[in-house]
This record gives sequence, structure tokens and C-alpha cells, in this order.
Amino acid sequence: MSTMSSLDRTVRVVRMQLINRQTYIWVPLLILGGSLALTIVIWTMIPYDGPKYGGASQAPLWYFFAVGIQALTLSFPFSQAMSVTRREFYLGTLLTALATSFILAAIFVFGGLLETATGGWGLNGYYFKLDWIWQQGPAAAGLFYLVAAMLFFVIGFTAATVYKRFGTLWLTIVLLAVAVLMVAAAWTITMTQSWPAVWTAVTTAGPLSAALWGLAVLVVLGVASFLVIRRATP
Amino acid sequence: MTAVIEVRGLTKRYRDAVAVDDVSFSIERDTIYGLLGRNGAGKTTVMSILTAQNFATSGDVRVFGEHPYENARVLSRMCFVRESQKYPDDATATHALGAARLFFPNWSQELADRLVDDFQLPMRRRIKKLSRGQLSAVGVIIGLASRAEVTFFDEPYLGLDAVARQLFYDRLLQDYTEHPRTVILSSHLIDEVSNLIERVLVIDRGRIIMNEDTDSVRDRAATIVGDSAAVDAFVAGREVLHRESLGRVASVTILGALTHEDRERLAAADLDVAPVSLQQLIVRTTQSADGAASEKGASR
Repeated sequence: MSTMSSLDRTVRVVRMQLINRQTYIWVPLLILGGSLALTIVIWTMIPYDGPKYGGASQAPLWYFFAVGIQALTLSFPFSQAMSVTRREFYLGTLLTALATSFILAAIFVFGGLLETATGGWGLNGYYFKLDWIWQQGPAAAGLFYLVAAMLFFVIGFTAATVYKRFGTLWLTIVLLAVAVLMVAAAWTITMTQSWPAVWTAVTTAGPLSAALWGLAVLVVLGVASFLVIRRATP
Repeated sequence: MTAVIEVRGLTKRYRDAVAVDDVSFSIERDTIYGLLGRNGAGKTTVMSILTAQNFATSGDVRVFGEHPYENARVLSRMCFVRESQKYPDDATATHALGAARLFFPNWSQELADRLVDDFQLPMRRRIKKLSRGQLSAVGVIIGLASRAEVTFFDEPYLGLDAVARQLFYDRLLQDYTEHPRTVILSSHLIDEVSNLIERVLVIDRGRIIMNEDTDSVRDRAATIVGDSAAVDAFVAGREVLHRESLGRVASVTILGALTHEDRERLAAADLDVAPVSLQQLIVRTTQSADGAASEKGASR
């Protein structure tokens, strides 16, 4: 009987996730292409010659949030029927998200370079090349977008693992706890009168440090969701 | 015979109920088991724990001598598609069978293709749009074509009509003959699967109350048919499970194996012995187990 290594089975989880290419490839590309096309059409209607920026490039990111939720609620029970271990499912699914986030980031960087070369599609309009994200160059912008896409996915995935294992009540409690922590942080900042310092730090921080902070959050959520999924039932 | 699954003192407690209550049993290799019991008896819970899809509260489960939890070596040799199996959104049967092909080392595409034909499963329609019977067919095809060494079928027939169910039983037996493996089939259509299963595993209120060869279960009882006066004379003093009569002919099912003398008496009295319905026997046994349990409870 042939035996598969755990690595091989993890790679097969990636292939399982990509068997229906719609979820990870075609829909995000459609959202990206659609929102880009609509943005360009809108730009042609704006009689302003200065640089115009579109915020629609975040649309595929929100989709990744939804995919992160679905990857768990639907693909996890199916992976269990495929006799896949929880660890293999977790690693394979995050690897799939990483690969597709990478493709999105590459398109984003390529689009930004294209916008620079064409003077914003000849319209001085910028969908990909947002000044703040690009201030440290294309590599930093790409990393920022990669981390952002992964972060959206992992937030959705983590929330869904908590829901799957502990139910709606505990998901609500966890989300409330996060909100309480954020308010507590705001309160502390207000009490110590350090808002100006915080704002300076936030505005001077470039996309690179933002990406690194994002990476830290990613690691925390990644570890948390792994610990939760280890005891989840389909 | 060698055991592929060994369960010792397995208990699964939910907040307000005990689903599986200190159960011990083993499952032999290359045998078709019927896991029989009423709804809520604990059939699905037991199968979920054996495949590490669910967790035991206490007790020990060994499959191929190892713990199945997070154990790819063990899990890849098992297949358990639930009766209420969820599939990825927008997945079609093509996607589901394609995935199964990736993970089950003994997967037979040839068998899968033939079963798709047999069940006339629409391959390109999204699974969430399939009828209940077609949904069951997806699970049945994965279970059969995976040719896993241990395969669980959890009431696989929901929504399947009589013809499709017979098709499933036929294909299972046919493929089992060519590729022997352990099959655990949960069902409450007991008589329908009684010719298929070699061993009977009856679970009632979270306890295993029977784990025996189907034939020896059948031998535990007999149905005596013939002139009602002669039948009554023969069954006097024996435990009667079931009685039917039509005119002067009676058909009475009695508990207890027939001895050699019994058979001589039957032949002398011109009475016939007919096969017993497994369902009747099991229903009766679960009822008497319930009775014994409540008597025990009352005496406390």
C-alpha cells in the first residue's frame, strides 16, 4: 500500500482547495477586474485633472475575509471526510491563502508599475498605486498587500474556528473582548495624553512597518486558530 | 482473526447527556458489520470518535493498533462520509470525487466512474442543488471507491429509493468480494441489510448490547410454522417473540436455539422451521434490555 508523507498530504490539501478554482482564483480576479474597470469608468466622468485615487482595491481583501470563513465552515468538515488531519488541513489551507495572496500582491505591484508607466491609465487615476502604500517602493507595497490579504483571510478563518468549536456565544464574547481591549487602549492613550505622539507614530510609520505589525498579528492569530482547530469537530 | 479496531471503556458525555456509555468492543478485519440501533442510540458518535472526527470523554480507541487522532498513517486507511456531510460551497460531484481521489491511496477511479453511471449522478451540478438521494449517492460513491481498509457508512441510504438502495448493497457486496475490507454500516433498515452483514453490533442508549455473528444471532431464535395446536404444544414453556396465525396455521417465533431433540420433535409433529427476521429479534432484544434496565432501576 502506498503511504503519503504528511508534507505530500498537506500539498494535496492545497490541491483540494484549488480543485474548484472559482473560489480562490476566478472570483477574486473578477472582483479585482470588475472594481478596476468600474473605477476607470468613473474617473473618465470626473472633470478633474489632478491625481485621482480609488479605494476599490480593498474589495478583493474583503472577499478574502469571506473565503477565510468559508474555508473553515465548509472545507474543514469536507477535509475530515477525506481523512485529512487537522494539522494538514490547517497548513494546507493557509498555504493556499498564502499562494493566492501572493498572486494578488503580484498583480497589485504590477498594476502599480503599469499605472506609473501610463500616467494613471492616461487619466491620472490610481487604483493600485496609492501614495502611502508605495512611499517605500514596490517591494514594500507588495509586502504590505500580501500581509493585508493574509490578515483578512486569517481574521475570517480564526473567527470561524472559534465559532465552529465554541459556538456563537463564545465568538461574540471573544469579539467583545477584542473591542474592550481596544477601548481600554484608547482610554489609556487619552489618560496619558499621548494622542499626538500616537498620531505621529502612525503617520510616520511606512507600509513596511505596518506590514511587520500586520505580520505579528498574523502570527498571533495563526497560532490561536491552530490551537482552536486542534480540538474542533466538523 | 485480527482486530483492526479496539475500543476500551469508551465514554462520550455531552453537557446534558451521555451519548456513549463505557463501551468496549473490537472490530475484526475483512468483515461487514451492521451497526444497528435506534435514532440517537450513539451510532454516529461512535463512528465519529473512531475516525477522530470527534473526541472521547474517556476511554481508549485503537485503530490498526494506534491512536487515530491527528494520525495520518491511520486516518488515510479509513473512510467516513457522514449522512449529513458538508461539502465546500459551489463544489460539484466532480470536485468532491476529485478530492477523494487525492487522499485515498486505494481509490479506484474505474469503480467511481461505474457508480456514477449506476446512480446517474449529475456530475456538473452543484452539490447543494442535488436531491437528498443524489447527495447520499455522492457519499456512497466516495465510500465504495475509496476502498479504504476500514469504511464507515452512516445510514447511507437516506433519500435513495428501493432500487438505488439495492444497487448500493449489490455493489458493496460485489466489490467487497473482490477487495475484502472492513465495512461498518449503520442502519435501522435491519431486515434490508441483514443478508449483507456478517456481524451484528447493536447499540442501545450508548451501550453495545450485542456483538455477534449474524448467523449465530439468527440461531438464537426460530420461527415454527404449522398446525396451530401442534405449534402451541411445541412452544409451551418457551419465550415467544412473535405470533401470527391464519386459520388453523400458526407461525410463532421463539427465543432459544433449537436442540437436536427439538428438531426431532418438530419433524414428528410435522412442523416447519422458518428463518427469523433479524429486525424482530433485535427489536425484541433491545426492548428486553430496556426492560431489564428499568427493572434494575426500580429495584434500587
